[in-house]
Amino acid sequence: MSSTDTSSSTKSGGWRFGPLEALTVGLIALLIGQRWISGLFESPALQAGATIFVSIVVQAMPFLVLGVVLSAAIAAFVPTSFWTRALPKRESLAVPVAGVAGVVLPGCECASVPVAGSLMSRGVAPAAALAFLLSAPAINPVVLVSTWVAFPGNPMMAVARFVASLITSVIMGWLWMRFGRTEWLRIPSRDHLTGRSSWETFRLTATHDFLHAGGFLVIGGLTAAVLNVAVPPSVIDSLAGHALFSVLVLALLAVVLCICSEADAFVAASLSQFSLTARLAFLVVGPMVDIKLVALQAGVFGRRFASRFAPATFVVAVIVSIVVGWWLL
Amino acid sequence: MTREVQSVILFLVGGALLRISAGDVFMRYVKESMRPWLLISGALLVLAGVFVLIDVVRAARRGDVPDDDPAVVDVDEHAAEGGHDHGHHGPRSAWLLVLPVAAIFLIAPPALGAFTAGREASSVAQPADADVPPLPPGNPVTVMLADYAARAVWDDGRTLKGRTVEMTGFVTPNPKGGWWLTRLQLACCAADAIPTKIHPVGGPESLPANTWVKVVGEWVPGGGTQSDTAIPWVKVDSLAKVEEPRNPYE
Repeated sequence: MSSTDTSSSTKSGGWRFGPLEALTVGLIALLIGQRWISGLFESPALQAGATIFVSIVVQAMPFLVLGVVLSAAIAAFVPTSFWTRALPKRESLAVPVAGVAGVVLPGCECASVPVAGSLMSRGVAPAAALAFLLSAPAINPVVLVSTWVAFPGNPMMAVARFVASLITSVIMGWLWMRFGRTEWLRIPSRDHLTGRSSWETFRLTATHDFLHAGGFLVIGGLTAAVLNVAVPPSVIDSLAGHALFSVLVLALLAVVLCICSEADAFVAASLSQFSLTARLAFLVVGPMVDIKLVALQAGVFGRRFASRFAPATFVVAVIVSIVVGWWLL
Repeated sequence: MTREVQSVILFLVGGALLRISAGDVFMRYVKESMRPWLLISGALLVLAGVFVLIDVVRAARRGDVPDDDPAVVDVDEHAAEGGHDHGHHGPRSAWLLVLPVAAIFLIAPPALGAFTAGREASSVAQPADADVPPLPPGNPVTVMLADYAARAVWDDGRTLKGRTVEMTGFVTPNPKGGWWLTRLQLACCAADAIPTKIHPVGGPESLPANTWVKVVGEWVPGGGTQSDTAIPWVKVDSLAKVEEPRNPYE
């Protein structure tokens, strides 16, 4: 995508074919080709796939908008020093407190990475910030309410998700305290998306987070739609049959699908062939370890951090999900 | 992604949400209760697009190159690309948001129908209340397919005896011959659609898939009971082709 570079560096000097022009031409081409494109989707399977794709995205949009608005409001209007004052001095105590504090950051995982980074740069102990990083996208009210809505017959699912996610994030915080090394972690030196005023910070953060997370939501919706239509129900049923194996299958699916935590409960609900414990693993692993999140962590905290932290989180999350699922579901 | 493109994408996504939720189209994809939330989020996205556009115009008036505005330096985007620095643009993943907009406006995917229903086993949820209440008064009485199936399968048709029912559903061809009167149920969105199938007795031999029909008939025993995959029977007194209902799901 080097064309974007040239467009920005030469914008002041005359007209160039930049991304805006590309988008315009692309949209016009789509409009002209509409009949041909919709003709491609005559087959019932492709039509069903398109319907499922659109419905996942449409269903998730209001949640995503709510999430980014609230998280941007907190990022812009709550001073970061608040967190430093609110946390206990002792690190081993600060970890669970920070984990529980994840309740107040209603955002998806894309939002919690920069927030955790800025917490660290404002002097919060890394172990506590990491517990917050993992818990915030999973246990905030928006996510819990959408989980509750997505599983009308199983209100315990939201409870189990809260418990399992909190336990996992606290364990990971303590593990980092005990085994983590400072040289693995690159603490970000500056906040991102800081405007000239709180209002500007709010707007920039909300817009950015929406565009960023929305793109990944589209990937998740596409993948889910393709799986839904391409994979015969019998194959998934056979995978769903094995108790332990099915947990691993859905945990890995969560890593691959990269669905925002505000929307993933609806996808989990549609995977009705799988046991509730397997779907719990999907909901616990997804907001903590997925492809886009590992990439985000690698960028904000460094690759040496992400290559150790993400696999460890995956293992802990799967084990905790199995235990909590066996206990609560 | 430049600020201009960001605003266009915000307009497109917000506009698409407003477009489908202003009419009944959104009910092909999600539940009816989502409408206010879709309208609000669509409006907020359009508003965000307006603000970005104002920024762009202001920056152009000042003679700045908007993309080099330090206020929009985007640290975590570099992370998403493994640290490669492609300049200070908005998140590149946002380009993907064009896809659902294109799908909504160009393909306009129809409500799920016989393809989905044919792939999945019929599902009859056991009523939570063991003491099934009687049907509302009237003959014929309009019932949902899921309600009819639950009464027939889990309550031995006790509350259906001696009543004339009216049900609206679409045709799903039965691979073993004949067809099922079908309706899909949503828990949240079309991704979790679950079919209810009912076997018509004494109706036409076959009908084209996805034809919407209104069936007036009576309960007859058959198709099995006490199983969440049973397909109950209905004796067809009359059948009429109808338009797809406003809300295609139950």
